[in-house]
Amino acid sequence: MNQEKKGLGAWVLIAVMVIYVIILIVGPIIALASGAFQDGVVPAVRSISSGVFAQSLVLTLRISVLVVVIQLLLGTMIAWMLVRHAFVGKSLLNGLIDIPFAVSPVVVGYMLLLLFGRNSPLFPLLDRWDYRVAFDTPGMFLATLFVCFPFMIREMVPVIQNLDRQQEFAAATLGASSWTRFWRIIFPQLKSGLIYGMTLTLARAIGEFGAVLVIGGGVQGRTETATLFIFRALEERRYIEAYSAALLLGAFSVLIVFLADGLKRSHEKKQMISAEVNTL
Amino acid sequence: MKKTIKYVIIAVVLAVFVSGCGGGSTTSSEDEVRIVLGAYTTPREAYGEIIPLFQAYWEAETGQRVIFEESYLGSGAQSRAVVEGFEADVVALSLEADVTRIQNAGLITHDWKAGEHGGIVTTSIVAFAVRKGNPKGVGDWHDLARPDIEVVTPNPNMSGGAMWNILGLYGAAVRGHVEGVAGGDPEAAAEFLRQVLTNVSVMDKSARESILNYEMGIGDLAITYENEVLVGRNSGQEYELVIPTSTILIENPVAVVDANVDKHGTREVAEAFVEFLFTREAQEIYAQHGLRVVNPEAAAASASLYPPVEDLFTVVYFGGWDVIMVDFFGPEGIYNNVILQVHRGE
Repeated sequence: MNQEKKGLGAWVLIAVMVIYVIILIVGPIIALASGAFQDGVVPAVRSISSGVFAQSLVLTLRISVLVVVIQLLLGTMIAWMLVRHAFVGKSLLNGLIDIPFAVSPVVVGYMLLLLFGRNSPLFPLLDRWDYRVAFDTPGMFLATLFVCFPFMIREMVPVIQNLDRQQEFAAATLGASSWTRFWRIIFPQLKSGLIYGMTLTLARAIGEFGAVLVIGGGVQGRTETATLFIFRALEERRYIEAYSAALLLGAFSVLIVFLADGLKRSHEKKQMISAEVNTL
Repeated sequence: MKKTIKYVIIAVVLAVFVSGCGGGSTTSSEDEVRIVLGAYTTPREAYGEIIPLFQAYWEAETGQRVIFEESYLGSGAQSRAVVEGFEADVVALSLEADVTRIQNAGLITHDWKAGEHGGIVTTSIVAFAVRKGNPKGVGDWHDLARPDIEVVTPNPNMSGGAMWNILGLYGAAVRGHVEGVAGGDPEAAAEFLRQVLTNVSVMDKSARESILNYEMGIGDLAITYENEVLVGRNSGQEYELVIPTSTILIENPVAVVDANVDKHGTREVAEAFVEFLFTREAQEIYAQHGLRVVNPEAAAASASLYPPVEDLFTVVYFGGWDVIMVDFFGPEGIYNNVILQVHRGE
């Protein structure tokens, strides 16, 4: 490692960037923490230890984990299809995938209401089976799935494009089955992309607000996710509760990001070692 | 290899577990009954106290436990949610027109205005919140058109509260109670509305959101319900209430939603709850949370908190909500014409 000697200009630039990041990201976090702990740690902890917040957190996690699992399977398959297969309507599909990026989540909620609400042609059918989509968990799940849809796909497309096909061909020539080829050649190369895609999807799902409010109706203890709980606590001027809940949710998301980052790094390290072994 | 299979198994188990705990249920049993309350945002603190009282009352009467599911949205949004399939057993909304929308959708089939107080459970008036000490010296409606005043009021297309605000302002002008605006002249009143709307900096989704943003420091003055100001002050806010000489009486309806109570088998308890809201006990709680009440004894007990208004009018002055929804808030209505002018910067 040979580091160049930094001039004054470089140091100024570094200082400006550090200050920029602190103001932009650390500032609001400190404000949130000081709001939560304004009366000390005990009131903050006590404020969110009510069952209602736990319920909302469980609902958020249920929806988010299910969305991540589905996107892990289907999102990856769609990405694979887009890269490896040519079919009629491929460019149309490619365009459709980005629509959730463009549509406001509140509008997503209303679209689902139109589709599953009382005035929808689907409603009598759902009603006969006594299956509720709107103003219940299935609708909130669909809304979250919709807004999270592109993340996994857009993460995986370049990863799949960069796969080393030589290895696949070599393995096939040596008689490896397609199952073996997938798990031993392809999957290890996809792994870090999958982890990153899952993290993005999970973070987006946990943070969703507008779409789940419109389609779920924000019923306390039933269709209230953690973000809706925070919003309601603010509306009821229970500020310590709102800030503490937000801090906990934020800490959870940061933890996931760090965890994913750690997994990715240890995985990359392993790959580097195995690559070195191979060259020996 | 073994490890990856393990991951797959974990994923599948997780998926099954998560999807297994399906949607919530609204069924009732012998010793437990569940009712859904769909309300507008401002009386939420009052319901927080009334509901436990009703639960105790109902359990003493019938031995049945009542579980409440509560949702608080802007009145218009709540009404539309019920029409779209939110299965509220009881709705408590800001204005009659929002109940009428549910009625028109065929979900309320009984005459909900037949009761003693015409289905109106609480009232309030349109008033102003001003900063501590009233530094801008706001006394009455005409001050709102001053160029140095920044006004906050919610959006009438989403919030019932905002409709009341617009009607209060316009009515006071037409009735000749706004200094510098000729009474009896609809055009002068519309011009006054335009001047005030030009001063509006933020239009929020609901009455509560609007006053919370005012608390965060936006605007010199908030047009809001009297009860919003009183609830805010109770929670430690330091802004002050200014009651204009002429204003509108806000009337908040409550109704049982027939289609939903019949579906859930909750008619009996839902009707008892609505009836309970008119008792002196419940009405005194509303009064503690800033609302003017309809029960005569509760109203007499809280009279000192709620000074009379010099010129108080109701929606009847405009011909009722059916007329108002067309003449004021219809596509060609007064409000939409004026707000278009404001957006064009005229």
